[in-house]
Amino acid sequence: MKLASIAIAAGLAISSPALAAPTVDQAPPPAPFQKVSSLVKLPDFIPGIGGLYVDPSTLPAGPFLAYDHDGKLVSTIYMIPIADLQANKSFDDLPVPGGAVDHVDIYFNAGHPGVEVPHAHVVLWHVPASSEGLVAK
Amino acid sequence: MIVSRRAVLRIGGLALAVPAWSAFAGETVEIHMVGDAHGGAVRFAPRGLRVEPVATVVWRNADTGNAHTSTAFHPGNMDHPLRIPADAKPWNSDYLLPGETFSVTFTVPGVYDYFCIPHERAGMVGRIVVASPGIPPPIAAKGMEDMFPPVKEIMTLGMVDP
Repeated sequence: MKLASIAIAAGLAISSPALAAPTVDQAPPPAPFQKVSSLVKLPDFIPGIGGLYVDPSTLPAGPFLAYDHDGKLVSTIYMIPIADLQANKSFDDLPVPGGAVDHVDIYFNAGHPGVEVPHAHVVLWHVPASSEGLVAK
Repeated sequence: MIVSRRAVLRIGGLALAVPAWSAFAGETVEIHMVGDAHGGAVRFAPRGLRVEPVATVVWRNADTGNAHTSTAFHPGNMDHPLRIPADAKPWNSDYLLPGETFSVTFTVPGVYDYFCIPHERAGMVGRIVVASPGIPPPIAAKGMEDMFPPVKEIMTLGMVDP
């Protein structure tokens, strides 16, 4: 009887979606990720980026996870201070929690609350370039 | 004939906030906080502005993707050097989200230098000269002068942008 109960419990654990490993595909991502707009004063949805989440302990580099209006993950972003690069600092083994990468954008950003220094955005898009409009505004 | 916003204001006789021009006493003018799509180029528009005492300046965050501040150079603001008249009250808007505004009414003549907290290192600073017509241009605080539009240029043109 005891063995049968254990077997049933094990079966439930395998089949239950509630116990499946959390993913970041859909907003909100699991802890320790937090919504950036709850950490610093930034819009809930940033045009060109989307709804942004980050584990505060990973600042400034991230990864930041960006979602479209339907809560679907569209990109993973790293924010790398220019001064750190010029000082020969390296950023190694940054995690990529978001799965397959379609293409990458890299551009300069002058700063914003949370990363208040000039830095580079390294954007790993998980959607095709033709779908970037999902977060345009 | 091009009718300036100031002319429109005078014809209409309305005390409206308008995109910055030099401001006469009692008027309200706007300075916009702007940025490009990637947030790589941010600035106050205009960077330099002359107003007469007493005039009100409204800062409007016109950048849809970023937060900005208008913060006076003053020891009370993150230990910045004093770059406003000693008897003037410093200000700090705190972060303004897109579309939000903040205003300051200037009563004390002089040169007021200010910055945006997250973008000071990217050069997002501005200067307001509060002076009446015919009065010699006030003297700006020493040093850092290459960061700001020259007082003489602001006095001559009324506004300097970019």
